[in-house]
Amino acid sequence: MSLLEIKNLSKDFYKKDGTVISVLSGINLSINKGETFVIIGPNGSGKTTLLRILGLLESPTQGEIRYLGKDITNLSRKEKTLYRRKLSFVRQKPLVRDASVFENIAYGLKVRGMKYKQHKHLVDEMIESVGLSGMENKNARTLSGGEMQRVVIAMNFIITPEIYLLDEVSANLDPMNIKILDSFIYKIKQDKEKTIILSTHDRYEAIRLADRIAVLNQGKINQINSPSVIFQSPKDEFTAYFVGYENIFSGNARVDPTSNLNQIKINDLVITASDKKEGKVKVCIHPQSIILAKNPPQNVSSLNLFKGKVDEIRDLGNIIHVIIKTNSERFLVSVTKVSQQKLGIKYGTEVYINFKATDVKIL
Amino acid sequence: MPNEIIEGVLEAIYLIFTLNPEVWGIIEVSFRVSLTSTFLAALVSLPIGSFIGLREFRGKRFLSNLINTFMGFPPVVMGLIVFLLLSAGGIFGSLGLLYSTTAMIIAQFLLAVPIIIGTGKAAIESVDPALKETVLSLGANERQLWWELIKHSKKSIIAGFLVAFGQAISEVGAVMIVGGNIRWATRTFTTSIVLQTRMGEFGMAIALGIILISIAFILNYGLTRLQGGDK
Repeated sequence: MSLLEIKNLSKDFYKKDGTVISVLSGINLSINKGETFVIIGPNGSGKTTLLRILGLLESPTQGEIRYLGKDITNLSRKEKTLYRRKLSFVRQKPLVRDASVFENIAYGLKVRGMKYKQHKHLVDEMIESVGLSGMENKNARTLSGGEMQRVVIAMNFIITPEIYLLDEVSANLDPMNIKILDSFIYKIKQDKEKTIILSTHDRYEAIRLADRIAVLNQGKINQINSPSVIFQSPKDEFTAYFVGYENIFSGNARVDPTSNLNQIKINDLVITASDKKEGKVKVCIHPQSIILAKNPPQNVSSLNLFKGKVDEIRDLGNIIHVIIKTNSERFLVSVTKVSQQKLGIKYGTEVYINFKATDVKIL
Repeated sequence: MPNEIIEGVLEAIYLIFTLNPEVWGIIEVSFRVSLTSTFLAALVSLPIGSFIGLREFRGKRFLSNLINTFMGFPPVVMGLIVFLLLSAGGIFGSLGLLYSTTAMIIAQFLLAVPIIIGTGKAAIESVDPALKETVLSLGANERQLWWELIKHSKKSIIAGFLVAFGQAISEVGAVMIVGGNIRWATRTFTTSIVLQTRMGEFGMAIALGIILISIAFILNYGLTRLQGGDK
């Protein structure tokens, strides 16, 4: 039995002027005990609302939520509290109570009936592990943003609940706090009794942490699967783009009977793919699958070879995004800084791009 | 007329600084009545107001409108109602409370209740909803949440008490009707000022007026301090 199950859930918000905004619709998903379930989607896709519904901070307009098979959509106040005590909900924006650091961190234990003598050493340990020793008695609201974030991490993780709801927690964190947070998350991931449900718009974070990913777009789930499946075979254009297939073209596909390979005509360009889908299609190529060469490469196995000019260079530190313009299309290619320098790639340089037919995803 | 005013002010200063027993009697009655009524009203109204502020339920908007209406209830009408209830022919006539400080406390209590319910409710409702959710998601039950919200809005709640007390001590209609303005017994600042002015005893009236304004000033000073520092 799944730990949490959402069936046909939707959420509408009613604005004052009478218009209805559908934030979530037709959501079906089940989350297993012990897994790290990542909800990935752009801003405004409904991630926060979905987590808030799972945390019983919001009621769905339709549909039901089940916890271990039991319907928890309409619980009494008392039952809601009991359910909420099984989880901790880390919000996107850090918020602390107007109280000392110690009291903030101890709060979750206190409301669960733990006396000062019982929780003192736990809180002290936690304060140390988030690096706030010596600040116990400071009012948490007077701390710096980064310190406040650590109080929030500490007060949510000290509860050691069954389920962790983490709403874009790393979005506002500085690198040091991300490290602290990640160390907690990795520890929890090892405990198969604990379940993590995390929302993010960061695909790298999703790959790093997820056992399974749900792609959420405009209130609907596009795809749920393991990171490797989603990244290798995205089901639609949105998912493809979101997981990093930044080269997406529309074209007409037809399988060539002699070579038995798919030929997709995109304006002046013909791309060869092993994928056999025909007709009007979307062609997706990951920037990392494209190889850049200064001279026409010889004796290469890849079937797609095009000549172009460097149109734009985006420096991302160690990685460089190079935009190559062929006659009619623009390709985004990612290369390391080292190879950019080695090849001497500058604006206007004439280059060749090539990629394998098997690296072309057809949607 | 200007002469009378100057004389009045001089007499007022004399009365205040010589600790005139009648002035002190009036101060004592005024404070006893208004403090008791505000205290009792706070005891009853804070739980009610904060509960209304805490929960969402059907008819809440209607109830809020009702409370707001009663917050501005005309004191003189309240005086009339309490008078009718306590007078010999009224339901509580047998208690013989009319023209006593108890009757005044009852009238002021009834006036203060909606004020403290209204301000208490508003105080709880003005707490950042994100804080409510944080507290709930940390596992607080409704009682624990309630206490947390009270703590967070204590300044606004105390401000509500001050407003209620300020209204009570400066109110004249109700205490005049149910207290009867009896010298040494139920005479307050306000009823006394009405009487002295009518009799042309401006010194006493001005003395009491100065004290009343000072109280109002101190209350308002306290309120501004509270609101300025409210987070």
